[in-house]
Amino acid sequence: MTALTEERLIGIRSGDRVLCPPLEWDPETGAELAHDFVDVGPAGTVESWCWVAEPSEQHPLAHPFAFATVRLDGADTGLIHVVDAGRADAMSVGMRVAPRWRAERRGHLTDLEAFVPGEDPVSGGGAGAGEPVEMMGYNASIAYTTPVPDNVVRSEAAAAEGRFLGLQCPICGRTYTGGRGYCPVDSIALTAEHEIDLPQKGVATSFTIVTPVQYPGQTETEPFARVHVLLEGTDVVLSYQALVDTPNEDIRTGMRLAPVWASAAEMEDGAGDTREAGLIGWIPTGEPDATDPDLVNRLC
Amino acid sequence: MALDHAPGSHVPGQHPDDIAIIGWAQTPMVRHTDKTETQLLLEVVTDALDDAGLTRADVGFTCAGSCDYVAGQAFSFVQNTDAIGAWPPKRDSHVEMDGAWALYEAYVRLLMGDEVDVALAMGSGRSSTADPALIYPMEMDPFYLAPLGADALSLAALQAQAVLAAGAVTERQLAEIAARCRRDAQSNPYAQVSGEFDVDELLAEDAVRAPLRRHDLPPITDGAAAVVIARAEKAKAVCENPVWITGIAHCAELHYPGMRDLTRSLSARKAAEAAGVADGPVDVAELQAAFTHEEPLLVEALGLAPTVTVNPSGGPLAANPIMATGLVRIAEAAAAIRDRGASRTVGHSTSGPCLQQNLVCVLEGGRA
Repeated sequence: MTALTEERLIGIRSGDRVLCPPLEWDPETGAELAHDFVDVGPAGTVESWCWVAEPSEQHPLAHPFAFATVRLDGADTGLIHVVDAGRADAMSVGMRVAPRWRAERRGHLTDLEAFVPGEDPVSGGGAGAGEPVEMMGYNASIAYTTPVPDNVVRSEAAAAEGRFLGLQCPICGRTYTGGRGYCPVDSIALTAEHEIDLPQKGVATSFTIVTPVQYPGQTETEPFARVHVLLEGTDVVLSYQALVDTPNEDIRTGMRLAPVWASAAEMEDGAGDTREAGLIGWIPTGEPDATDPDLVNRLC
Repeated sequence: MALDHAPGSHVPGQHPDDIAIIGWAQTPMVRHTDKTETQLLLEVVTDALDDAGLTRADVGFTCAGSCDYVAGQAFSFVQNTDAIGAWPPKRDSHVEMDGAWALYEAYVRLLMGDEVDVALAMGSGRSSTADPALIYPMEMDPFYLAPLGADALSLAALQAQAVLAAGAVTERQLAEIAARCRRDAQSNPYAQVSGEFDVDELLAEDAVRAPLRRHDLPPITDGAAAVVIARAEKAKAVCENPVWITGIAHCAELHYPGMRDLTRSLSARKAAEAAGVADGPVDVAELQAAFTHEEPLLVEALGLAPTVTVNPSGGPLAANPIMATGLVRIAEAAAAIRDRGASRTVGHSTSGPCLQQNLVCVLEGGRA
């Protein structure tokens, strides 16, 4: 990657062959290769190509181009990269290409902007990195569109009205929250006919105090608690719930809790940062703690 | 793996370590479903066990193949375990691979010969939630391939060009493969793409990624499949016509396509040899040839004779449920024996850029 900033392409010796791009291991034996690098190119021969008529946002060029396997002079393997040839009929197997370098080079495969037809490299000017390149950025993004299952839609709608919806399995009688559309024990689908309204009472079955590490999107700065809450009449805890107005040192398993719902005005503002829309968190009721071992310290 | 006592050397089913496919199911293959992967799996697990005459309680081991990148969610396979049935408890595993590799793991688990005698393999994927051409570069190596946006379609097109340039096949022959698959798919009730197509009209269309045209590419598909396998004693006890796995093997080669001879599939050839494809005549081969040019390449690598019927189901060109496509091939190869009277068939699956990894499974009916 450092050589790229100097407008150089390098390969690595592996037995009698020169591999470009350089690998860490011998492809035949898996043995680690000595760092015996050799300059290759700058020109090379197209071994295969395909034409990209409509580049995607992830492709290096915004206009039509070719992907190609280029065997650089002095190398025994093909480097996959792009060829900026203008039109598909300018491409052929066996054609000669040379690199066109970017002016801004940072030790990244795309410092080589593209190969162009011919024997002569096109310099981007400027200098190399000066120091070895040890880090390389690679950013990718993708948007997904996922249908929301019916049960989740109904569960969220209930939560927006300040209600918990349960789904009760007709075989084992277990009740699940959160729009879970199946009984995992009996493996049957749970649908609207299995819905029941649940009481607004819960017990803290387990908790953790999280010391926040700062990363993009993390808004917490002080240690905060997350609690498993078993809602009365259900068989699976609501995991990783927030508490409201409760000091961390006061939290204990067995604590009786009640939900705190967003007001209509807060809902308008998009309140509710847990998976239940409209559920802000939980607050201790002050009732005596639960001590039933079936409730306290269960994990799920 | 090819077993020491198989293939060819004994009647399948006589050794306790012989393992048979005894049931399978697939969802209808569609461009888009609103069902979750878990819902898709719930259906096929139930249906495959019905097909085998068993219930979830009979299953001792399950293995699922799926992909977080396709689902767009980390640990996406965890919620899919809801489809398995948690009670009574069973051993469970997951491969970030096609369900065909889940079947391989299930097969190996049954070879352990302890109390587990029935296993179930699944594969599921919903490709419709995002553009697969944008997903797959993220699975490539982050230094030399991913930064280029090297998508599966482009890499396949590089391989197609290499195969065409080598003179191994013509563009017309590729179009004929597409037309044949879509024609054959008309008798496959699960197929997504089927019909009669004129080869000249197909060839008149513009390339999507030259040299590949639309008909050279698989459809984007949502779907799932499940296959039930059992050890010999159990298989014979519950099933009148078990389909015996007489060889199964997989092999990988280098990740970087530029380092390989793209006109050959070395790993498919090695896997076929290890699975014993050549140890007897093959009636039907179901190949995970998602792009037309992969079919002649795989036929050559597996050493299949011209008499072998390839992809009578229509193959991946008729339906390509990513993460289940290979498992469907094995189920179709089993169906060719149990439901359509073939005696020896091959199911194949692949993974990675340009046929990097290949799995070959040889199936036989019980001999009289």
